[in-house]
Amino acid sequence: MLRRLFFTLAIVASVLALNGTARADITILVPSSSEGDGLRAAAADYSKLKGTKVEIVQAPYANVFEQGANAGATKSGVFDIILMDDPWIPFFAENGHLEDLTPYFKSAGMEGPDSDFLSKSLAICRNPYNTGPYVCLPYVGNAQMFFYDAAKFKEAGVDAPKTWDDVLKAGKALTDKGGGRYFGYVFRGGQGNPVVADFMPIFWSYGADLFKADRTKVTIDTPEGAAAMKTFIALRDISPKGVESYNANEVGTALAAGAAASSINWPNWVATFEDPSQSKMVGKISYSTIPAGTKPGSSEIGHWTMGIMAASKNKQEAFDFTVWATSAEQIKISATRGNPPVRTSVFTDPELTSQEKFRHYPVLMEAIQASTPRPRHPKWPEIENAFGIELSKAVAGTITPEEALKNSQAAVEQITGLK
Amino acid sequence: MSISANATSTAPVRPGGTLERWAERHLRVLMLAPTVLILLGLTIFPSIYMFYAAVHKISPNPDVPWDFVGPGNFLRLLSDQQFHVALLNTAVFTIAAVTVEFALGLGLALLLDKYIRRMTFLKTVLMIPMMLPPIAVAITWKIIYEPQFGVLNEIMFRLGLPAQAWAGDVDLAMFSIIVADVWQWTPFIFLLMLAGLASLPVEPYEAAELDGASSWRQFWDLTVPFLKPVIAIAVLLRVMDALRLFDLVFILTGGGPADRTKVLSLYIYQVAYRFADPGYAAAISLFVLFATIILSTWFMKRMRLAE
Repeated sequence: MLRRLFFTLAIVASVLALNGTARADITILVPSSSEGDGLRAAAADYSKLKGTKVEIVQAPYANVFEQGANAGATKSGVFDIILMDDPWIPFFAENGHLEDLTPYFKSAGMEGPDSDFLSKSLAICRNPYNTGPYVCLPYVGNAQMFFYDAAKFKEAGVDAPKTWDDVLKAGKALTDKGGGRYFGYVFRGGQGNPVVADFMPIFWSYGADLFKADRTKVTIDTPEGAAAMKTFIALRDISPKGVESYNANEVGTALAAGAAASSINWPNWVATFEDPSQSKMVGKISYSTIPAGTKPGSSEIGHWTMGIMAASKNKQEAFDFTVWATSAEQIKISATRGNPPVRTSVFTDPELTSQEKFRHYPVLMEAIQASTPRPRHPKWPEIENAFGIELSKAVAGTITPEEALKNSQAAVEQITGLK
Repeated sequence: MSISANATSTAPVRPGGTLERWAERHLRVLMLAPTVLILLGLTIFPSIYMFYAAVHKISPNPDVPWDFVGPGNFLRLLSDQQFHVALLNTAVFTIAAVTVEFALGLGLALLLDKYIRRMTFLKTVLMIPMMLPPIAVAITWKIIYEPQFGVLNEIMFRLGLPAQAWAGDVDLAMFSIIVADVWQWTPFIFLLMLAGLASLPVEPYEAAELDGASSWRQFWDLTVPFLKPVIAIAVLLRVMDALRLFDLVFILTGGGPADRTKVLSLYIYQVAYRFADPGYAAAISLFVLFATIILSTWFMKRMRLAE
């Protein structure tokens, strides 16, 4: 009896699963985070409105890249749209996995995306950066901001930190006073993407960069790089023990629990910090653009963008959905669902900006406009890994900051074949 | 008489056509064929395909043909620093974790042998760690090790001891992973040893008692030789599993800090999926496969398991 019941259930589940995928008009691969949840809700709205069945496949961050790359390499056409983190765009575009959107805009009688999108948000969707054809449209307007407890900083003698020196001054005082339970700064020091993501804004704010502007030379081991590294290590010294393994969750928890006074972070954490059920710091965290070093501060841009897979069998339907989902009306709805916008009209919409939970919008818009993309290179995942190992070693203290820069320079030169 | 002779020398006429007769003649082969085909499809074909991939440079661009590089990917192993680090870390982890698990598992089994045989409930409780999904174990230990809010540092703090970064400390990261693995897999060794002890013959021990042999002498000259096959199987299974370690490292440290916990499985994953270089990943996988086969064969011969 039990066996028969189990067998019947298995058949029913298989039929339902096959039915679900077979009948979808568009299948979209998204991350299992607020960005993916937002697009899932939008897809449900679209299905009701247009009668088009949209299937959403959610996967953890790294798996979205892997599944997208696999689908692209095998030309399976299993996904019509992929919601991509912007540093992935060169990999997907330069390996022929993404559809050029130009003919679709033309056949729709459009020259391209409208001018309501922020210029920096559009620039990343062109490959090569800001000059090539559009291979995606921006959906979630992520760019790092500086999060800090203004009251604690004031206590430490800094009203509003404008430079990394201000952060260090207040941060050191707070860490010294914290007795090993409270810290002036916290960051993602985990090897790989986390430590690179939190180092890059500091790197840029001292005028350093990974490559020369024309991408002909690796420029990590420079005096500017050394100055950035000095500040980074000083920030490590005022951060919690174990920061070497921290990722976004640990940093977010430290801030929300009131155990750290400041950090670089992504705007989707604002909702957590302003939620009384998850945060002790509701209304107490201030947001600013990235502090300056020897140059003005610059955020790392981390937009989520919608690209159409080249092997899709439903490209026109996918394009129609992409245009609809990134329209001003839908981006505003997406903002109310917790995803930062990519359009000026939504950033400045009084209906939103009058609400406390959107008070960071002016800062975020400024941060996006002052942001820098991660180096646009198809081998970025490998470059990030190599750079992340050396940064991790420097943070852990197993090599000197100077050695970290020298080793990173050599490793990236080897990966890219540049000198 | 002749009629009778003819009757015995002529084969009986079997019913059915040629196909049926052929099927009957080859029944054994036909019965085995599905199994052999499935085995070929699931094991042999992927292995051959992996070898084929390992001698090619495979572009993530589907329009770029595979480039034959011969032994190039295998030669890369010689100069790849990250591979050397992963190999060393895997060896350190395997030796340390399996040694501790074996010592603890055998020690606990010897201590509790007489008391636990009938306590089924306690055996079930002891089996819980190894029944948990590895991801659940990793997440649990991540919460325990969390430097600021983790239970371990809270205990340290209350005892007046300095807090540690555990999985985030270059000197403690590998130790932290080994502890989590020992927690999960010591019960496996313990249960195998317990089963081995339960099946030991009584007579040799009675004779040894009469001869005045000490407990240590009985353990060394009777228990260990009798348990040898069980010990060999337990260690072999754990070594093969430890060489494939992935989940704990992926969740707890991501291979860091400073590459101190990067193991071969994690590196293969990174090369295949993050760096989109499946040819080289196949070469590393084959290296691990052959290393495991050689190690297992040597070990089985040494323990005379084949006999």
